Amino acid sequence: MSSNNETIGKTLGVVVGLCLVCAVVVSLASVQLRPLQQANKTQDVQRNILAAAGIDSSADVFKTFNENIEARVVDMKTGEFVETDPNSFDFESTKFDAKRSVKLEKAQDKAGVQRMTTESPVYFSKDASGQVDTIILPIQGYGLWGIMYGFLALDADTKTVKAINFYKHNETPGLGGEIQNPRWTSMFEGKKLPLDIVKGTAGNNEHKVDGLSGATLTSVGVDNTVDFWTGDKAFGPFLANVRKGALN
Amino acid sequence: MANAKEMKEVLFGPVFANNPIALQVLGICSALAVTSSLKNALIMSIALTLVCAFSSLFISMIRNHIPSSVRIIVQMTIIASLVIVVDQTLQAFVYATAKELSVFVGLIITNCIVMGRAEAYAMKTPPLMSFLDGIGNGLGYSVVLLTVAFIRELGGSGTLFGIEILPLISEGGWYQPMGLLILPPSSFFIIGFFIWVLRTYKKDQVEAKA
Repeated sequence: MSSNNETIGKTLGVVVGLCLVCAVVVSLASVQLRPLQQANKTQDVQRNILAAAGIDSSADVFKTFNENIEARVVDMKTGEFVETDPNSFDFESTKFDAKRSVKLEKAQDKAGVQRMTTESPVYFSKDASGQVDTIILPIQGYGLWGIMYGFLALDADTKTVKAINFYKHNETPGLGGEIQNPRWTSMFEGKKLPLDIVKGTAGNNEHKVDGLSGATLTSVGVDNTVDFWTGDKAFGPFLANVRKGALN
Repeated sequence: MANAKEMKEVLFGPVFANNPIALQVLGICSALAVTSSLKNALIMSIALTLVCAFSSLFISMIRNHIPSSVRIIVQMTIIASLVIVVDQTLQAFVYATAKELSVFVGLIITNCIVMGRAEAYAMKTPPLMSFLDGIGNGLGYSVVLLTVAFIRELGGSGTLFGIEILPLISEGGWYQPMGLLILPPSSFFIIGFFIWVLRTYKKDQVEAKA
């Protein structure tokens, strides 16, 4: 039997047939499961936005998000709202879209992101009386091993940090990975911009936060990330508009 | 056709007597990488067992038609397709874990256990036995993975399946976690001890001195 397996015709036939079958199986799995995967990704991001806003999302993330969070898109240069749909915004694809992003010069690129989108979604949560009490900004910056993705929540005064969290990063587990530890992120609560992450103990200084021990470069990365995204190149103009009352 | 005793041997033999990691020393790479928590190790074990079992089954089904000149590529194609399906399924249903396992699910493709069983067993054995052999070897891999993960998660993070067992000093408890256990090299030591213990009980696994 094995002797007639070795002809060129049979070899080609088996290989082509197998490839066809495998291709069909793989494509079916990919197409069938894509909606679920997309929903998972969105939910993961929404959970982090809710966490930054300090809202419990353990029940139904999607519902809690829609009830409590308002999403808008701002133009980075002018700081004005634009009409882009915030729900369809995807940083990873938009960042490499030449029309919708800009390359950053080395000197300006404090967060090490190389490119940034010209528009960005921002999120608001409101208090009982309908006033915006939290502004949530998406932030990204280079840590030790790769780009860290997270959210920075500011009070409506645009100066006080309410929360910070990271939902995607490649930092070392147990060292830089501690940027996800609530015990560390809770130290940002109530601190004022501009922030400085320092070695040793920051004490009660309202502009300083303790760095992570054993993860100096990650700490520096977080420091630069916060500085960059609250600065002139990024959300600075938008935050200035908010101080002038753009939200009311 | 195979009798029940033979089937049992094929299925459970690889768990201790002929363990793929401890005796055949295959598939060490992923055993190092995904064992820092029990949950990841469990999902990885299930994924590998499924891939190993079904790739053996399919390869065995077409074994009489595989030209020997392209047999490795044919095996790889089948394994790779199964791994992609498993990876997509994980991303759809257990997103958080899939995110942590990330590249290691994809690396099942090159896992020596799967390739080794396909080439050494499934190519010359009927489908049912090959399927059982795949499950058996998957179980053998799982035993080692879960043992290592148990020690690493308990010692390194003070938890099991994410549930706190030893309260950490940093959370106000008394346990100072052992940093080494969080890092991949610790698996080398644990697997080393595993092999040592196993060979103390099963002396026939000790290689003859040259």
